[in-house]
Amino acid sequence: MSGEEEENAAELKIGDDFLKAKCLMNCEVSLILEHKYEQLQQTSDDPMNQVSQVFEKSLQYVKRFSRYKNPDAVRQVREILARYQLAEFELCVLGNLCPETVEEAIAMVPSIKTRGRAQDDEAIEKMLNDLSLIKKFE
Amino acid sequence: MFLKVQLAWNVIIAAENAQPESLMLQRAIIIRLLSDFAAKKASKDLGYFLAVTVLERIGEGKVRQHTGDVLFPVVFNALTFKIFKGEVLEGVVHKVLKHGVFMRCGPIENAYLSNLKMPDYRYVPGENPCFMNAKMSKISKDDRVRFMVIGTKWLEAEREFQALVSLEGDYLGPVSTLDV
Repeated sequence: MSGEEEENAAELKIGDDFLKAKCLMNCEVSLILEHKYEQLQQTSDDPMNQVSQVFEKSLQYVKRFSRYKNPDAVRQVREILARYQLAEFELCVLGNLCPETVEEAIAMVPSIKTRGRAQDDEAIEKMLNDLSLIKKFE
Repeated sequence: MFLKVQLAWNVIIAAENAQPESLMLQRAIIIRLLSDFAAKKASKDLGYFLAVTVLERIGEGKVRQHTGDVLFPVVFNALTFKIFKGEVLEGVVHKVLKHGVFMRCGPIENAYLSNLKMPDYRYVPGENPCFMNAKMSKISKDDRVRFMVIGTKWLEAEREFQALVSLEGDYLGPVSTLDV
């Protein structure tokens, strides 16, 4: 399999370059790609023919897997998650999967417990509540 | 995971397209960059190339001695998709076989979930074959499944990634389409 034996996203071992890289949630990617696609529609009769397969597949995917559609909600999700000293990678996994319980959140992103930042359960619980509020009011 | 990256590439403009009117030249550079970007498809380090988002700058062109083509260094931001071992993701089933299922996940066409990595599920043959467990949880074509990536492989010739995924873990498995 991949040569980098060390890589393990569950422990947040994804390489220094990627730790620093900006990650994006599905809902953010959806906004960007849909905007690109609309721009193409204005300049071309057959926009689907203008885009690569990678673009097309990704657009389909993020449209189906975006938990938040409205641009204001998408911005708020990032703002809320940004308050919790998460790595970019962790922030996006939580924003994509929207776990409902603390236990589920830790199962999805085990590193939030193991990195010694001592995110306590209460803080995680509050974060999940804030996120579910955005979903309700969207 | 979708990533925002900054890239520095060289774009080559054929001599006959290197007209002095700067707007036309800039247009030619952008068109060439976008087609190079789409053609490259993916790289082992950065994953799949989705879209160019911002053109940061176009540097000073250099004429290549023998052909007269002009080479422009270009810095731009782009979106990519890379799959990481240990990452939890969701995908859509597109093929159900006796030994496991294939799923799509973003630009990745083949994320393979072997029946060995979903031990409580049994294959159910029929016109619409599926996998089912004792709690009647079902995995069939077009279903959404949440999984963990246990291995990735870069195929240089196809410029593609393949992934091996697993349902062994808490909160993994089919996701009801109702909660989105």
